Amino acid sequence: MTAFRKHLEFLHRTDDCRTLSRPADCSPQVVAAEALRAGGHAIEIEPETGREGAPTVPTTPTVTLASGVYGGIDQSRGQHTTDSRHRQRYPWTRLGIGLGIDQDPAYTDVLESLLALGERRDERDVTYVERAADATAQDLRELGLPTPPDEAWPRFTLGLLSIGTDRGTYWAPIHGTVLDGNTIRARVPAAVAERDLLETGTAVTIALGVPPEALAATHLLAITDRLETPIEDRGVGATVPVIPTAGGVVPSSAEVVVETTVADRQPATQSEKREFWERLGGGTTLTLESTSIFAREEPVVPFTPLGVPLSDDLQLAALSLSATLFDRVNSYWGVAPVDWLLLPAEGRLGLCIVASEILYAGFEWQLANLLFSLSDCFDKVLVVDTEISPRNLGRALGDSWVKAHPSRDWLVSEPDAPSARMPTYGRGGGGGESSREDGGETGARLYVDATWDPRWTDEYIAPRVSFDESYPPELREAVRDSWTEFGFEPESMANVGDESESLE
Amino acid sequence: MTTPATTFREFLTVLENAGALTEIETPVSWDLEASAITMAANAADERIPVFESVEGNGTAARLVGDPYRGPRGREFDHLARAFDLPRPARLSGPAYYTQLIDRLEEQREPTVVEPETAPCKEVVRTRAAADRDTSTNTSASATGSAKTNAETDANPDANTDANLLEFPWPYIHQQDGGRYATLTTLVAPDPDGEWGRWSRHRAMIHGESRASVLFLAGEQLPNRYYYEYERRDEAMPVALTLGAGPAVTAASEMWIPVGRSEATFAGGLQESRVELVPCETNDLRVPASAELVIEGRILPEERLDEGPFGDYFGYVNGPRRSMPVLAVDAITHRERPYLLFCVEGSGVGYASNSTSSLQVAAAGPDATLGLRAAGYDVAMAAPWPYTERTVWVIATDRPYPGALHELANFIFTTWGMLHIDCFVFVDREVNPLDSRAVVEALALHADPATDFHQFGVERMPKVPLNIYQTPDEKGSAAVGTSKSKTAKAYIDALSDDERPTQTIGDSEKRRRARDLLAEAGVAGVSDVAGVATETDAMGEPHSAIDHETDATRHQHPQHQNR
Repeated sequence: MTAFRKHLEFLHRTDDCRTLSRPADCSPQVVAAEALRAGGHAIEIEPETGREGAPTVPTTPTVTLASGVYGGIDQSRGQHTTDSRHRQRYPWTRLGIGLGIDQDPAYTDVLESLLALGERRDERDVTYVERAADATAQDLRELGLPTPPDEAWPRFTLGLLSIGTDRGTYWAPIHGTVLDGNTIRARVPAAVAERDLLETGTAVTIALGVPPEALAATHLLAITDRLETPIEDRGVGATVPVIPTAGGVVPSSAEVVVETTVADRQPATQSEKREFWERLGGGTTLTLESTSIFAREEPVVPFTPLGVPLSDDLQLAALSLSATLFDRVNSYWGVAPVDWLLLPAEGRLGLCIVASEILYAGFEWQLANLLFSLSDCFDKVLVVDTEISPRNLGRALGDSWVKAHPSRDWLVSEPDAPSARMPTYGRGGGGGESSREDGGETGARLYVDATWDPRWTDEYIAPRVSFDESYPPELREAVRDSWTEFGFEPESMANVGDESESLE
Repeated sequence: MTTPATTFREFLTVLENAGALTEIETPVSWDLEASAITMAANAADERIPVFESVEGNGTAARLVGDPYRGPRGREFDHLARAFDLPRPARLSGPAYYTQLIDRLEEQREPTVVEPETAPCKEVVRTRAAADRDTSTNTSASATGSAKTNAETDANPDANTDANLLEFPWPYIHQQDGGRYATLTTLVAPDPDGEWGRWSRHRAMIHGESRASVLFLAGEQLPNRYYYEYERRDEAMPVALTLGAGPAVTAASEMWIPVGRSEATFAGGLQESRVELVPCETNDLRVPASAELVIEGRILPEERLDEGPFGDYFGYVNGPRRSMPVLAVDAITHRERPYLLFCVEGSGVGYASNSTSSLQVAAAGPDATLGLRAAGYDVAMAAPWPYTERTVWVIATDRPYPGALHELANFIFTTWGMLHIDCFVFVDREVNPLDSRAVVEALALHADPATDFHQFGVERMPKVPLNIYQTPDEKGSAAVGTSKSKTAKAYIDALSDDERPTQTIGDSEKRRRARDLLAEAGVAGVSDVAGVATETDAMGEPHSAIDHETDATRHQHPQHQNR
């Protein structure tokens, strides 16, 4: 288990996080959104300490904010010159670090670790520890949560909702706005509300700055509609030490814990901002009244601007859905032909890329259409050969054009399939803020076959141009040996050749 | 730099000043080694290698690997420096396109200089008359007709050892059929103009005096050869030049309409007249500063093998095919010439090479201007970021039903006929060079039911270089197109005003945020400016970004002996 502040520490240690002071003249959400657009470092925004000698301002923010800590990488751009002196980073790298896999985690290892968090356990193995957060006298506003531009109230995101019951504790994602010192308007999964777990007067707890395992588990379980099982019976329950609260148990290392009661249940409104899991599982609005607030010393909490490209909530949803589909497509045919499956956050879950062995002619059709059956998010699937690494999204996107014949390998179904949820013309209204329930009810599906036809003989298969395949091994070795002598940066050679993708 | 670089050597100085060059003194071999180093540099987004010492090289020629490759994400940057464009054009693709198009609209006629002052005449090697391939007629009527042997042999300073094998042509991929000249400008006669026509064609070296030239029917010069010269059983006089300067190279990458001249467009790019000099053995004029000029003739009814070759698709195409023959009459060059080459196929995926960068930085602005000139209201047309040529992204509106079909139809039947399979149309607000935004547009706005369009099924011509046709389908057609036809497609990924949120906060706040991020050392902030189409990110003065951009490469002390 990785405490959230430990996760940040790792990101700093791997030169993957930059710190700046909270500006007085610019919303942290704007700063975070621009950092995400840059696709560079994660950022930590520290509370402004005030100028030396200046009187202490009573409303000085108390939380440190962190953004881009679960994704933050624009994989469509590849590694740039400015990145090449450091190790390579991918959209799953930071979450993989948070899940305790490795500094440079393989993509499928991240998917499998995510899946393990959601697995059912036959026996409970929960660790209860002392609370790390101390009680404070603050009201909610004194936490200093940031207010997005054009909004009236401070907003919290990437929170964990805990609901205690006799059977155990249920965790779910939560985000919302702070209306006053005690009142929160929150968005939670509709599935939780529908199960009468959130009656008026029910005690529930919000935890911010929880371990990546806990947060990722809430998103995974929410988008796969598996919130009906107490976390004590899931993998995450055996992974994250917890403490009891007025609501349910929460991760013991949580940075901020807000105990609340449900004051009101409200229907979903079109104007509410949404975290991305809501686009898959649906959400509802609650009014919560806080009863106690606990915070660690110098608390640090994650936050993400909502609705912008590459946000952390989007990345968590993309990885969670990718993990789920990866697992399912490898569970049908007695063998596991799929090497990897990726829903790039750049496509906001409207596109699925899958690398698979083509077991027989027509298998690519079977695979693509199974994916359409398993998820209604997307209506486009790109099938690529297994020689392409998930680290090389650019190659996969290039192959979709040069390996796929424009008339034979771009295959569109009749327009009588259920309309996909993510595209703007679809049921869900796409990545926009508004849900367009009047979107098309049926639509067509497209899959692009960028694999070699298994019926082709070897002489038909064009060899790839690459450092590894275009030059003999002794020459490659000589180039590597003399790399710095040639005047190149020593680290940049790590980005060259299949070895740079060998982890996959 | 206060004036644009007009020669290749000045361009190398531009790269050196940008810290984007490394001069390698260690002797390397033309036999795969120089290319392997270059491909690795391309993959790593590293400095451009200049190979000062090449083994087995009787002319002391030097090699330069993919000199026109720009830094990843800003492939236009080096040409922007070379053309001395205002700083915003180095940071922002849209700003670069705007500036370059302005230059293209200010064309300048070339000027002719005396051979004595032309650097490309520092060494003149002509083949002895008896050794020249004179088995076919040579036209003397059109501009660019061949000089008589008596005329050229009268040059007392000329050597008689024009021999292709004296030069270290690189063997680029181990699957290639031979050694290649790749980053060329082929100068050919122009019956409609005074200055000849320029375009890029690779040549596979076959011996001392012969090479096969990739001529694909559908392109202007090959059409002229196949359907005019060859039908008259005449050789087409040509000059294959290398290292003629950034403006010449960029103009050679463009599709210039009949009746216009690449030379005048190059003059516009470099804001000065391109200096031309007459050839030794024909009436063509070539860029005077070229590092090397191969004068010769494309012979009628003669073919030599061409390929296989690791091509711009990122794969080795095959099978070996027959292509027209270049017979060499003379070679002129600078002392210790630079032979620049492109490792084709290494510019796919994330990586760039000279071809992919020139497509972005030269072909794109030219296409944008050309489409506007044809009456299409196009914001930007640029190649898809992960392929060198196959797919283009066009930012535009849909002013009336059918507008996109009409636009695609126009391009596919003209300059986009051979190499481009598909167009992706995106909102005017989307920068085609912003790969994230383009992927998003495809994923969210292109409806498979209504937005994926084909022009019939397999009715269109296709270059035989592709890899999705079988060798049988590609065949070995006489004019260099596949035996079987292919399909062309376009995708309407316009959002119809449903584009999701891209940014939050007003432009002033966003700029302030980027300043803060740059000060904190957050990587990639300058690239945000590079991909954004919004006005505030078009490269306004931005000290933190400037600092980061220049600090990305260490300055290396380099020799100044060019």
